[in-house]
Amino acid sequence: MSSWLDYTINGLIVGNVYALVAVGLALIFGVSRLINFAQGSIYLVGAYIGWVAVVQLHTPLPLTIIVVAAAAAVVGLIIERFGLRPLQNSVRIAPLLATIGISFVLDQLVMLTFSPNPRALPSQLPDVRFQVGGGTIGPLDLLIAGVGLTSALLLFVFLRYSKLGWAVRAASQDRDAAMQMGVDVNRVNQAVFGIAAALGGVSGMLVGMYYNQIDTAMSLQATLKGVVAEVVGGAGNVPGAVIGSLLLGLVESYGVAVFGTSYRNLFAFLLLVVVLVLRPNGLFASARQAPPEPLTGTFIAPSRPVRIPRWALAVAAVGFAILPFFPVSFYVLQTLINAWLLGMLALSLTLVAGTVGQVSLGHAALLAIGAYTSALLSLTLSVPVGLAVIGGGLMSAALGTLLISPSFRLRGHYVSIATLAIGEIVSLVILNWESVTRGPIGISGIPPLSLFGYDLISPSSIYWFSFAVMTVLALLQGRLLGSHLGRSFRAIRDDDIAARAYGLSLNRYKSLAFIFGGFAAGVSGGIAAHLYSYINHETFNTQQSILALTVVILGGLGNVVGAIVGAVALVGLPEVFRIAAEYRILIYGIVLLLLVRFRPQGLLGTI
Amino acid sequence: MSNIDRRTLVKGSLAAMMAGAAFSRSAFAQSSEPILLGVSGPLTGPNAQYGTQWKQGFDLALDEIQAAGGINGRKLAYQFEDSQSDPRQSVAIAQKFVSNPAIVLELGDFSSPASMAASPIYQRAGLVQFGFTNSHPDFTKGGDFMWSTSVSQADEQPLLASYAVRRLKLKKLAVLHLNTDWGRTSRDYFVNAAKEYGAEIAVTEGYIAEERDFRSTLVRVRDANPDGLILISYYSDGALIARQARQVGLKQVICAASSVYSPKFLELGGEAVEDVHVGTRYFPEDPRPEVQKFISGFKRKYNGLEPDAFNAYAYDAMNMAAAVVRIGGTDRKAIREAFTKVKDVPSVIFGTATFDVATRRVKGAMNAELVVRKGQFALWDGKPT
Repeated sequence: MSSWLDYTINGLIVGNVYALVAVGLALIFGVSRLINFAQGSIYLVGAYIGWVAVVQLHTPLPLTIIVVAAAAAVVGLIIERFGLRPLQNSVRIAPLLATIGISFVLDQLVMLTFSPNPRALPSQLPDVRFQVGGGTIGPLDLLIAGVGLTSALLLFVFLRYSKLGWAVRAASQDRDAAMQMGVDVNRVNQAVFGIAAALGGVSGMLVGMYYNQIDTAMSLQATLKGVVAEVVGGAGNVPGAVIGSLLLGLVESYGVAVFGTSYRNLFAFLLLVVVLVLRPNGLFASARQAPPEPLTGTFIAPSRPVRIPRWALAVAAVGFAILPFFPVSFYVLQTLINAWLLGMLALSLTLVAGTVGQVSLGHAALLAIGAYTSALLSLTLSVPVGLAVIGGGLMSAALGTLLISPSFRLRGHYVSIATLAIGEIVSLVILNWESVTRGPIGISGIPPLSLFGYDLISPSSIYWFSFAVMTVLALLQGRLLGSHLGRSFRAIRDDDIAARAYGLSLNRYKSLAFIFGGFAAGVSGGIAAHLYSYINHETFNTQQSILALTVVILGGLGNVVGAIVGAVALVGLPEVFRIAAEYRILIYGIVLLLLVRFRPQGLLGTI
Repeated sequence: MSNIDRRTLVKGSLAAMMAGAAFSRSAFAQSSEPILLGVSGPLTGPNAQYGTQWKQGFDLALDEIQAAGGINGRKLAYQFEDSQSDPRQSVAIAQKFVSNPAIVLELGDFSSPASMAASPIYQRAGLVQFGFTNSHPDFTKGGDFMWSTSVSQADEQPLLASYAVRRLKLKKLAVLHLNTDWGRTSRDYFVNAAKEYGAEIAVTEGYIAEERDFRSTLVRVRDANPDGLILISYYSDGALIARQARQVGLKQVICAASSVYSPKFLELGGEAVEDVHVGTRYFPEDPRPEVQKFISGFKRKYNGLEPDAFNAYAYDAMNMAAAVVRIGGTDRKAIREAFTKVKDVPSVIFGTATFDVATRRVKGAMNAELVVRKGQFALWDGKPT
């Protein structure tokens, strides 16, 4: 039984680690209603500044903490001033996307400065251990717990009893009213970003010391776990974030205890989904809190879409269709094949996120379901590849809709977080369900694409096939959006209360959208499986989901042509910058930031 | 092959030749231009560190190759394309390489999804895909243009099992493995061999690459009460596990696969990796001249930096590529044939490397029994720890 004590202690320790990130996220969410995807990158920056201080400058611990906090705060202020403040009056999704772009830029800058090799960040505390249960606790564990709890407590006091704290709370409840009452909202935002960044930086340093290891890939995981912990606790609620983190740590630890290590993250994300389904605003959302943002007009940019005349579209389609007859290299064709596959995924997402207003950060899961279904159908049941791909689409439609349906009652950013979790869950189920998915070994030897007995293996034939499939899906979707059904979809997006008042059954319409969208994404995944001949659980990951969302926003939410243009642009940009080697993701991040800054409604605008 | 395909292939290769001629002058100036190899690997993204290590190994090998007069008087060079180890990008890179006639051989990619997604393209185009970190059992089954110097885990893991069970006399084992294709395959080979040698496997735990916290896993290990811990890990997670094992009070013997062999393992693990046993492919005190040349050359070129396993794989792969190109010239088909002919290439990892034509992998990994003593890898002296 003593083991349970150990699992509990371990859960609390790792929960403390999560809390360090979650508190910063909660603060920013509280004021800006923004999930700051750059928080993990600030944590990364803090870890490396800590490394410079400890290893190069040999600063003592208190000084290290001050240096890291100050430097990270400066980074936070810069982000707020130059990255986010200019977006204040643009759509809600713009700052979210900007934080993703900022995280690309920060991660790459750190990687270029320090090289991607992991480094040791020695702990500056004496290495004594106290026996607790069957395990031990060291001073650093206590320091992390202390920093987590103290910062939560200080923030609580600050928000409740200081004047600036009142201003922060006022601004978070009603920004416009606060401004009218004379609150300098910019100053509030600045203070919040500075504090959150200082916390984030210190937490990166402490966690680095805790593991004696820092590397440039640590930011995404930190963000993911931090977001889960924060949302479980109730977004924007600082003490809630701490409790959510501890709970997350405990659930993971008990999950390992009962089911084994490979199930650890599965339980983390299941916890999130369960909490969201039972308590859509997190465990500690106060009843008096303003209701979360409905995804209405504030979310969608008030823009006039760029109408591209039909003849121009037809010309473009014909141009792309006859492209392989011209002397273009296979590399260009392959790049465009990737663009068409991403285009199908973007069509799916633009329908779900753009037209119905259900932002999904887990769309890669639909690709994975389609890919595995199609691969397994053709391999184990010898279903012809053409039919298997369709089967993949149908399975994605069915399973995807089923998985996502519990989140239909969620609002605002909670939908995106729930879908993020579902994406992770699908990936982890694929990893662990070995009897069907072959687990980590993945599926190899998937037969190539074929149609009516002809193998499509030359780049041109794959190009035509994927282009044709995407075009058909796009035309279908265009038709759908122009119909009565499409108008109902948009009504739900623009004002779901009004839509319900008119008698629209929200869940049914959302399901319909996911069925159509799931099919398109599943087909894309199926084609990819046959194109690659090998897939495993990492082939379709969170980064794909983020990429898809970027494409959709870049093209213009709900805009069918925009989704395709966005896919071509975002597949093409990194290829164009390929010569820039290590710098290309940096450039990509900056381009993304500039686009968000100057064209937040997307290239072609929202329909 | 159907008619459609043949037509498009002919047309495509015409297009490729035009494109190739347009952006590479090599078509006109064959003899003075370097012989070009394509490398597809991660320079950014979560696996960026491995691409950086590859480059260090490649560059050292190239320095030596050029100093020795290159390949029949021509220089050898590589074009490194960043794939982020993402299959979407590795397939595009594959098309880029196969349609560039200057590329005679391809090296990489790093991970299995990225490598094996690109395999069909290399196979159809008849360009050798030489994967040197691809231990996925199916990698070389992708076609007869897929070759690998990645040690088959079928070879390596029984050696580690023998070290642990026969030499260190560990009878009850806990195996922690990275839950990837590599870790999983390795674990199965290890477990089978260990059982054959008479050990009992008390528990096996798979963890994902992003995992940082192993305390709860280690409680499970403790409850299984093994007398040895086997790590099938890379150096960064291996160091994490060792540290946390010591922190939660596990005192068992730790034995790790060769993939932890890196100075970084010592740096990241600190005192916790003292007395960890490592079965490895090479070690710095190995008197073989290939090893000594590699280590001293590496330290000279990179300001005293100690090479690690991935540096060595890349160095060996480049030397192997040079040996193959020496035989095969610049014709892609001839290079493919050269892989069947190349014999006894001096290498750090294998002693002398020769391909097994049936599996298209190199056989006969070296195995040195090392242990960490006073913060250094040292040959194990046979004394129990």
